[in-house]
Amino acid sequence: MKKVFLQGLTIIVLFFLTWFLLSQIDWYTIFKIKKVTDKTEEKLGDLFWNILQKTEKENKNTFVINVIDSIVNKICLANKIDREIIKIHIINKDEINAFALPNGHLLVYSGLILSSENQEELSGVICHEIAHIELNHIMKKLIKEVGLTALISMTAGNNGTEIIKQTVKLLSSSAFDRSLEKAADIKAIDYLVKSKINPQPFANFLYALAEKENESDKYFAWISSHPESKERGKYITEYSKTITIKYEPILSLNTWDKLKEKLLE
Amino acid sequence: MINNTTFAYIPGEHEAEKASNSYLMSLIALIAGLPLPIINLIATLIFYLSNRKGTYFVRWHCTQALLSQLSVLFINSYAFWWTVSIIFSSEEMTSRYLAYLLSAIIFNIFEFIATIYTAIKTRKGIHVEWWFYGSLTNLICKAK
Repeated sequence: MKKVFLQGLTIIVLFFLTWFLLSQIDWYTIFKIKKVTDKTEEKLGDLFWNILQKTEKENKNTFVINVIDSIVNKICLANKIDREIIKIHIINKDEINAFALPNGHLLVYSGLILSSENQEELSGVICHEIAHIELNHIMKKLIKEVGLTALISMTAGNNGTEIIKQTVKLLSSSAFDRSLEKAADIKAIDYLVKSKINPQPFANFLYALAEKENESDKYFAWISSHPESKERGKYITEYSKTITIKYEPILSLNTWDKLKEKLLE
Repeated sequence: MINNTTFAYIPGEHEAEKASNSYLMSLIALIAGLPLPIINLIATLIFYLSNRKGTYFVRWHCTQALLSQLSVLFINSYAFWWTVSIIFSSEEMTSRYLAYLLSAIIFNIFEFIATIYTAIKTRKGIHVEWWFYGSLTNLICKAK
């Protein structure tokens, strides 16, 4: 009996030892998996942005770009995020929306900036989207919903514009998994706190969205792509209560007001 | 790992064929049901149950064929559900996962070769005892 037990144990140990030894090898580099996915992401990001550029109107106002840049710069610097990765685009559209595309393209609609009560609310949404980028949620979602083969095929130019448009729509107006949204929220609060931005207004923004959840208003795109806003606002409030830090505004009130004025022009 | 030993008696032609078939059964089912590792276990179990009243040699090899499926069943099931969670949830594909898959493939190849070898030898009436599974079968399967 003892002999059988020892032999069985040896097989188990042998398997785990094989697994452990093989784990020491970087298979990602050997199979060039990272290189393929990185290249696909880069091509997809540019492809989607090119399609959107044709349909959406990008705001090229230097003042607007500089103001949003200063928010993003502060967040990236405080959180050691490579600023080069985040490619911010401001779109002139009434929709309250912001979303990320592959390869770090981050689109912020003017409707979202105008509906934000203060810069902290806007910073919260930006941090949330940066978190999606940093946590690689965009590619995960695309691979899950569209499939890697279809994505690679898109980059090779084998798919029609309509399919690409539908995929972009998937990113701009549908939700990530609940677990991914929560992970992005938690990460966003960390980003905000490290950037000395008060996370409470972001929670308030979600509460405000929750109240409008029942209104079937076409402008509230960020609500439909980010459900359960009330619940999310609640755990952000709970989380931010545990933090004691002195917050500092990034922009002066004057600059914030001027930003809105420029967007309304 | 695999020992050719002498059995309690010399098995007849018919017995050798049946005993060999128990290993072939697990092989065919393994190929047919590769994505679902449970299928080869079920197939071997059915073959075992239909031969449980057979001669000692047949019963012994059916038991060894069934038991030998257990380790790969656990290994393959874990690999299967890990893959499912990567495809359908937020789980990421890591080097650890790839290492696990390779370990599973290595163990499956060993099992595959051992099964073919045993099926051939048993068909010739030679008694083959696997390391661990042979000893375990000796504990479970007794001559009536």
